[in-house]
Amino acid sequence: MHEKEKNLIKTYVDGGIDRRTLIRGLGVMGVTAATAGVLLNSVATEALAQNGFDWQKHKGTKIKLLLNKHPYADAMIANLENFKKLTGMEVEYDVFPEDVYFDKVTAALSSGSSEYDAFMTGAYMTWTYGPAGWIDDLNEYINDSAKTNPDYNWEDMLEGVRNSCAWNGQPGGELGSADAKQWCIPWGYEQNNLSYNARMFKAGGLTVPTNIDELAATAAQAKTDGLASYGIGVRGSRSWATIHPGFLSGYANFGQKDLNVSADGKLSAAMNTDVSRDFHAKWVGMIQDSGAPDWSTHTWYQVGTDLGAGKSAMIFDADILGYFMNGGDNAEAGNLAYSPFAANPDASAPTPNIWIWSLAMASAGKQKDATWYFLQWASGPEHAVFGATQMDFVNPVRKSVWANTDFRARLEKSYPGYVEMHDVSAPGAKIHFTPQPLFFDLTTEWAATLQKMVANELPVDEGLDQLAQSVDKQLKEAGLG
Amino acid sequence: MEQVSTLERILRGIAISFVIIFFMFPILWIFLMSFQTNETILQVPPQLFFEPTIVNYEGLITGQLETAAGSLKIEFMGNLFNSLFLSTAAVIVGLILGVPAAYAFARLKFKGSEDIAFTLLSFRFAPPLLVLLPLTIYFQKIGLADTYVGLIWVYQLIVLPLILWIVRGYFEDIPADIEYAYRIAGHGFWSTFRKIALPLAGPGIAAAGLLAFIFSWNNFIFALVLASADKQPVTVGALAFITASGINYGQIAAGIVLSIAPTFALAMYAQRYLVEGLSLGAVKG
Repeated sequence: MHEKEKNLIKTYVDGGIDRRTLIRGLGVMGVTAATAGVLLNSVATEALAQNGFDWQKHKGTKIKLLLNKHPYADAMIANLENFKKLTGMEVEYDVFPEDVYFDKVTAALSSGSSEYDAFMTGAYMTWTYGPAGWIDDLNEYINDSAKTNPDYNWEDMLEGVRNSCAWNGQPGGELGSADAKQWCIPWGYEQNNLSYNARMFKAGGLTVPTNIDELAATAAQAKTDGLASYGIGVRGSRSWATIHPGFLSGYANFGQKDLNVSADGKLSAAMNTDVSRDFHAKWVGMIQDSGAPDWSTHTWYQVGTDLGAGKSAMIFDADILGYFMNGGDNAEAGNLAYSPFAANPDASAPTPNIWIWSLAMASAGKQKDATWYFLQWASGPEHAVFGATQMDFVNPVRKSVWANTDFRARLEKSYPGYVEMHDVSAPGAKIHFTPQPLFFDLTTEWAATLQKMVANELPVDEGLDQLAQSVDKQLKEAGLG
Repeated sequence: MEQVSTLERILRGIAISFVIIFFMFPILWIFLMSFQTNETILQVPPQLFFEPTIVNYEGLITGQLETAAGSLKIEFMGNLFNSLFLSTAAVIVGLILGVPAAYAFARLKFKGSEDIAFTLLSFRFAPPLLVLLPLTIYFQKIGLADTYVGLIWVYQLIVLPLILWIVRGYFEDIPADIEYAYRIAGHGFWSTFRKIALPLAGPGIAAAGLLAFIFSWNNFIFALVLASADKQPVTVGALAFITASGINYGQIAAGIVLSIAPTFALAMYAQRYLVEGLSLGAVKG
């Protein structure tokens, strides 16, 4: 880095000039915004090196990462040189497309391969990886002051997110319980809320829905008024991924659960209650009236693409999906807005179920202390601020980043309602599923049942009874029920 | 000669055109999509006329794509090279090993020959994932994990049974008397194989090689499990266009056009051999 630029950034970090002056100054020196971000974080990393922690302890060690092709990984790669400079370590990485990513992870872990030291994962996947002994409990590193730098600030992680990555391995055990193992470190996460087309809403005089009945009515009006090809985008493929976003977020808002856990730890189906039947009927009716005609094939990709192309008026799905669709070459870029959504009119706040992209350590890895150095840097506050303000490392999992004025200003400028949506729904955001090893099988069957209900092959009541029966049978066969 | 009326000729022409359009339309549509941006592809209703752009091809070749979420680095040309290298090398190794073996199975009836031939064929029946996990462990122990040599070896599971069983049929179709006549003239076994059997079965070997190449090219799972990102074929690389921030339809279409080009060119070139190969058995005495 040139001295002049470095001095200017140091002055900013020391509070001598404001951000606007810094950006103007760097602009005069011919530094682009993206480069300025990396330079700024370089100075922040140098400051990190001064905190008394021996960052160079594993100098010369080489670790290898397995990454999913995702904006979170892109943000980390853009900042990786700073980590290498800070620690003197070498980092190699393999990036695989999301469609095949978890096949690669499962093959690597189950074969006991020591090729990858750390990898990206979802919290749900750790319910398989953890009990199988494929990944390490990270509590022993987090709680070891000799291995973790004093500025790491684990408590800064949003509580619901942090707890959702910790499980004691007992089927039905509460996430984040005192005896839970920290199978992964949260990296970035998604809440499920409303992303809607503000241009269409304004043109049609629609108001933003605040509960499930209003959601269905607004979606129907958007369709009948011809504002969009269909009213509401939600996922519908025969996959666990159909249940976990908007559907479970709305379902949990009525106080409903997927499974009951008895006093002796036995699990049983909980989705055939009266409240659940009512919610299912409303959800199914909404899709039949105003959902995508090919709803049963819709995954993350179709839901997002249709919102970005103006085919749907709104989605009840991951907030960052709406975030991504508000940019790039999407026809509706700049027209999207966001709102927290509580499906239950009697609920005080939303209860979004969440997906968490996290980092985990492979048990078969040979250099675990060095790997932890990478994990604590990648999930640390400096990188989180860099990713959130300069890249698309959204949603951050740290409270301090959500309090960062630059980050909030950036979101408020281009993503109307996003910050408020997050602030309102974050307290209730967590994984609302019951952790247990049959998670993927049971949720996939739930999605298949929903498909039959929407196709009118099965009435809601009968469908839920059949589903509950089948779930109970599978739980018993697995020794869980 | 059969007389065809004008009406029948017209009807036949219409029927053939319909069949060609039916089968070629998806390929034509993909070709047209490859010259459009995501915005024009996703227009409602779809537009038949558009302003063509080569931005998708540019992105694939330079390795830098502009997407909804910003700039995306793509290793597509590296994937294309990997597919080309792995498939070509696997077919060459498969031909070197498979053609003499096929000749042996066709001409030399020895004890257990059918059992061995069926064992080799059974490799085609095994689900790849069943084989791959133990293979991963063995490959790591013997240092073949994440190497081109290891992958070419594993590709023999696809290539070898195919070449062996197809070429064996061609060798069996060649009248043995031709080879006997050549040997009576004082030539050895090896010379007979090289000068008589191989040239006569040439079209069949070309057809088997082409099919083996296409099967190798389309393989997906072997490299995914056994190798790092830098050794992935185009079948895995093409999935990189489906990202969390959206599907890049234009780049997918351009990627399909580029990735079918080598097999398409090879099929066009080898078409003559394929036809010859298929008609070889027609003159069997």
